[in-house]
Amino acid sequence: MKRMRVLMLGWEFPPAINGGLGVACHGLAKALASQVDLQVLVPQIDRDVPRDGFELRGANEVTLQDLAVTEKHYRYESFSEVEFIPVSLDPYTSEEAPLKKIVPGTKEWVEFSQTTSEDITLLGNGDLYGDDLGMKVIQFSKIAAKLALQSDFDLIHAHDWMTWLAGVEVKRVTGKPLVVHLHASQYDRAGSDARGWIYDLEKIGMTEADRVIPVSHYTGRVVVSHYGIESAKVRPIHNGAEPVSRYRSRRRFPEKVVLFLGRLTAQKGPEFFLEIAGKVIEREPAVRFVMAGKGDKLRQLIETGAFKGLGGRFHFTGFLAKEKVNELLSMTDVYCMPSVSEPFGLSALEAAQFGIPAVLSKQSGVAEVLQGALKADYWDTNLMAEHIVHLIRDGELRDKVVKQAAIDIKAATWDAAAGKVMSVYHELLS
Amino acid sequence: MMAASPLLAPCICFQVHQPYRLTSYDFFQIGQRSYYEDDELNRRVFSKVAEKCYLPAAQFFRKLIERSEGRFRIALSFTGLVLEQMADYRPDVLDSFCDLIATGGVEVLGETYYHSLASLYSFAEFQRQINLHGAKVREVFGVEPRVFRNTEFIYSNRIATEVESLGFRGILAEGVPWVHPHSEANYLVKAPGTKAVKILLRNSFLSDDLAFRFTDKAWKGYPLNAADYCERLAGMHGQLLNIFMDFETIGEHQWRDPGTFRFWEEFVSMYLERGGEFVSPSMAVARFEVESDYDCSQPTSWAESERDPSAWIGNAMQKEAALKIHGIEQAVMETGDPRLIHSWSKLQCSDHFHYMNSRVGSDGLAHRYLSPFETPYDAYIYFMNALADLQIRVDRINIARSFLV
Repeated sequence: MKRMRVLMLGWEFPPAINGGLGVACHGLAKALASQVDLQVLVPQIDRDVPRDGFELRGANEVTLQDLAVTEKHYRYESFSEVEFIPVSLDPYTSEEAPLKKIVPGTKEWVEFSQTTSEDITLLGNGDLYGDDLGMKVIQFSKIAAKLALQSDFDLIHAHDWMTWLAGVEVKRVTGKPLVVHLHASQYDRAGSDARGWIYDLEKIGMTEADRVIPVSHYTGRVVVSHYGIESAKVRPIHNGAEPVSRYRSRRRFPEKVVLFLGRLTAQKGPEFFLEIAGKVIEREPAVRFVMAGKGDKLRQLIETGAFKGLGGRFHFTGFLAKEKVNELLSMTDVYCMPSVSEPFGLSALEAAQFGIPAVLSKQSGVAEVLQGALKADYWDTNLMAEHIVHLIRDGELRDKVVKQAAIDIKAATWDAAAGKVMSVYHELLS
Repeated sequence: MMAASPLLAPCICFQVHQPYRLTSYDFFQIGQRSYYEDDELNRRVFSKVAEKCYLPAAQFFRKLIERSEGRFRIALSFTGLVLEQMADYRPDVLDSFCDLIATGGVEVLGETYYHSLASLYSFAEFQRQINLHGAKVREVFGVEPRVFRNTEFIYSNRIATEVESLGFRGILAEGVPWVHPHSEANYLVKAPGTKAVKILLRNSFLSDDLAFRFTDKAWKGYPLNAADYCERLAGMHGQLLNIFMDFETIGEHQWRDPGTFRFWEEFVSMYLERGGEFVSPSMAVARFEVESDYDCSQPTSWAESERDPSAWIGNAMQKEAALKIHGIEQAVMETGDPRLIHSWSKLQCSDHFHYMNSRVGSDGLAHRYLSPFETPYDAYIYFMNALADLQIRVDRINIARSFLV
């Protein structure tokens, strides 16, 4: 059989990563590369990033000459009358910028179809998100469509809403089937009443797509119930995790360490962690709680912690580089993830690789993977606290949870995920 | 026409203090590193203040005192911490203060060794620090403090009673208008129920003219000249004029102005020429009778517009930090470990809580200017981490001791 050719559209890619998205795209691309001819297009790329067996291109490296062949043959219709998109997505704040009036453009739409050197520069500019995110998304989709017209592939695979407009454009001009991969939705970031430009793009992307791959069954349910997507085309596939070299640090103090790792935003439920900490310390004083990460809730959390009298036992580290995260994991006794809505939760798998038992929110994808982990609804801080106390006091329970996690991690590889993605591809191409 | 009343005696007191600022003591250092101070920063700041203020000002006041033939005098209150820094970082500064005190024109006041808020939390600790301070002053300057000045002028009836029980004759306080009208600040008063200890209330107008408004171009009195200031003092009624401020205002905090020393020189000589005289707090206590009771049941201080201790323990972070550090007093004392007790005591220094002050506005600006940290939140996080480490050391020693018994 002829080797399948896949055009993958991504946004974050190592080393430019903010959260799990870049890590997941890279992990999946590497694993898929052994089975398909893969070309990956992202907005910007460092020249010295290793290619790992697939073709990787940054839209910021594209020249106007590269686009010249197709420039005249492509008319861009989506948003051709829009001059300004009032959207920004800062992963460290929970709120979407308020929607301002969309101003009809004065330019002719034909002119809008053209790509200028400024458009390319825009994509190469520092932050992948920020105030001009809306324009970046549009320029990326135009460049993607023009490049796609010049190349041969069988299928499009687009990661998260920032690339879905591009996916839809490429599908429109090439007629190839579109797979959209959902790592995090606006529902996760902003809650169930999230509506706006991002929500609309997500809905358009999933509606136009031939298959939707959410990273968990939990997120699959959100796709169907919150976005109204036909369940017949939804195929949940769990992320894998790159193996890490684990180690344990010498104990620095007699207290056990319970860790929260993530952005300090509403989505991750840091205020629930604070509440859990208060309840655990009441019953088991010899515990320290560590909150690693930054975000718009930091100051409020510090003040609430002080008000509850948790200081001295509850430690804030701020944002940590990978090395420091590993050092922290090497000291951690219990990992706690009280996310309000967590499509997957890669960090819990990384903690499990360090042999750390986890207490997870039921509203998370990783809870489906780590079958032995102790679980509670994110708001049920009593049960969360009880789980933590049990893991600290009951060595047998702890061993059981850690053993089961080791089995679960073995199965949670990117090769396994790639295998499932392949069967989705086959459904569309057979 | 009324005859001109005699000139009142100004009583000028300066606070001399530098804190030991902490490092950015993060979570990873807990249990690993039992030293919390930023030596390099502390040495640098001390040297800067020494050059700009301590050395020239000490020499300047020595000259003024010597020239006045005993009619000009000041009082200084040194924290134990600043005396330690002098000895460690700049012995020349210590020498220069010793020379100043040797003139006989300087009274040295009593206070808490660690510039702490202990008076608000524990009498035992308050007393211990006052005694330590007394011993240090005797050792360094060979004098005995007779009048007390609490950290940041924190004062209440209870504090007056406690200070009286330790044998002091006088105590310095901020005269707050809701306890006492401003016009009465120039009379000695006493706390209800005390007999031996007289209160000297700071005249905030006369003091702040020199400490804050001197360089304020928006102030209607700007630029302040010595003749006008003498005139203002001459118009005052009462027993004495209490002018209390930070020594560091001269040359460091507010007065970047070369005119500072000239102002003082002119002011002192004009006042003396007009037949005025300066008194020390001990002289004032011996000379004047108490006029009335000063009934102050809630703690006051000289800080910000509130004039209470809220600049240090106003927000949740400050309250928790202060409660936690004082909450482990007994456990720390039980260790019997002098180094550990000293490190715990140094963490009590009120400056650490001042850095956690999250107020905005002009008072907030002062906090930002003085703080080694970017935000009050950082100050809180690093302080609490250091405290956590200290607690671990305390527990370790006390557990080991319990096996010995």
